[in-house]
Amino acid sequence: MMELTNISVRYGNKIVVNNISAKAETGQLIALVGPNGSGKSSLLKAIVGIQPHGGTTTLPAHPKERAKQLAYLAQNSTAPASRRVEEIIALGRTPFTGPFAKLSENDKASIRKAAKACDTETLFDREFSALSGGEQMRVHLSRALATKAQILLADEPITGLDPYYQLSILNILKDTATAGATIIVALHDLKLAQRFADRIWVIDDGQLVVDEPAATALTDHILKDVFRITADGNIAP
Amino acid sequence: MTLARWTYLLAAICGLVILMSVFIGSTWINMGDVLAGLSGRASDPVNQIIQTIRLPRALLAALVGAGLGASGAALQGFTRNALAAPGLLGFSACAALGAVLALYFNRPQLVMPAAIGFSLLGALAMTAFSRRKPGASGLVLAGIGIGALATAITGMIMNFAPNPWALSELVYWLMGSLKNADTQDVLIAGPLTLLGCGLLCLSGPALRVLGLGEDTARSLGISVGRTQWLIVIGCALCIGAGVAVAGAIGFVGLFVPHILRFLTKANESWLIPLSALGGASFLVLIDSLIRAASGPGTPLYLGIVTSLIGVPFFLWLAWRQS
Repeated sequence: MMELTNISVRYGNKIVVNNISAKAETGQLIALVGPNGSGKSSLLKAIVGIQPHGGTTTLPAHPKERAKQLAYLAQNSTAPASRRVEEIIALGRTPFTGPFAKLSENDKASIRKAAKACDTETLFDREFSALSGGEQMRVHLSRALATKAQILLADEPITGLDPYYQLSILNILKDTATAGATIIVALHDLKLAQRFADRIWVIDDGQLVVDEPAATALTDHILKDVFRITADGNIAP
Repeated sequence: MTLARWTYLLAAICGLVILMSVFIGSTWINMGDVLAGLSGRASDPVNQIIQTIRLPRALLAALVGAGLGASGAALQGFTRNALAAPGLLGFSACAALGAVLALYFNRPQLVMPAAIGFSLLGALAMTAFSRRKPGASGLVLAGIGIGALATAITGMIMNFAPNPWALSELVYWLMGSLKNADTQDVLIAGPLTLLGCGLLCLSGPALRVLGLGEDTARSLGISVGRTQWLIVIGCALCIGAGVAVAGAIGFVGLFVPHILRFLTKANESWLIPLSALGGASFLVLIDSLIRAASGPGTPLYLGIVTSLIGVPFFLWLAWRQS
């Protein structure tokens, strides 16, 4: 469980996240949706603690302690081209390792488990640049899962992927939530959001305008006012 | 080959080239006498040549090369830019400015503190200017700007050199050379370079994580600001000490980490110490070749030879990346 209280982010005079308060329950997959520039990424970064912000969360303030409880999959995640997949996934254990990054048996077990969940074990010895976009995202997700954090925030993890990998990534996130994690995933695909999420948060112009179960969140009114589309998928008049 | 084996191999190569370097010089000394001279059991002139001229020069070349290699590897890791090097980011230019100032005011005894002081000053200025945007792009922009300013001021000082002799001294000094190396240089530059390399090695594990991008690294509890401090202070110590004893030596910091990354596929935790060993071996080797090749009247300058070898590599790299 995680609670956000009055989270605000501003860039200069522009307020991009405006006083958002919400609660994310354990075991739930929450889809964070909203138009481009509505403040999704800024809200996620504020929760992760990498974006200066106002307001509080129930997470520890110390970065290393927070990192043990919260994993983050950044938008446009990257990795060095020649780095081996296994080594990238192992970096998910960074909050638990000492100054020389030596892995314990427990760390190795977490890495294996995360790789199994994302089906990346067979890629362990490949170089990152030799993978397809979908495989690369699964490696990033394995890295995030290897932390074994209770909370996972993912910023548009399926953007640019083919339908197979989109469904594969969302299935892994759903399974992880079902296993007891709290997951907030920023998405643009509203149909997939409705299909996979337990709850949907709609953010518009920095404000949380909807926090409802997935089935009832995206009303005609919200689609028209926030997303400027109609229920049958056309541009709203 | 494992990374541990690469480390042993490079350490062995480094030891061998240092030993080989002691055999090379304007006076021919046979193998037995050189080995006896190392332990002080040869005749007095041989002892003196080996212990006060050749060995300090070889050790100093190793120290300067190690500092350049480790700095280059750390800067490339931090900026995630293959072209980053201490020369590009202004560390060498700031150290050279300090040294040139000391030479201009005819205070050769101040060359070492001035070079290190200005290198640290440059590092502080880079950190201050990049404070609003800590991380790779801020440091690169601030470093290039401060380096250009230091180079311009160095040019201005040379412009106002009081006489042609003073100007030629500055120009030759900037070309980089170890011909005046002595034991005292080793005793001062040694600890500073080793401390600098130690700080850079400490940044290795954080640099591995920074390869995933700054946002991801921060989310994993890595402090980008602390890592930047370790690197700028480590580079300032290594480059300041190196420039003070050997002048400006280019491109070693650029291409040694590149070649080793290509050969070993090492991450930064390994690449920084490997580059220190590689840089040390390379510079001792080049300095030995220079001594073997140049006659008494026409000394070749170390900075020129490393650049002559480095520039084609730099161009190839730029071509490959585009």
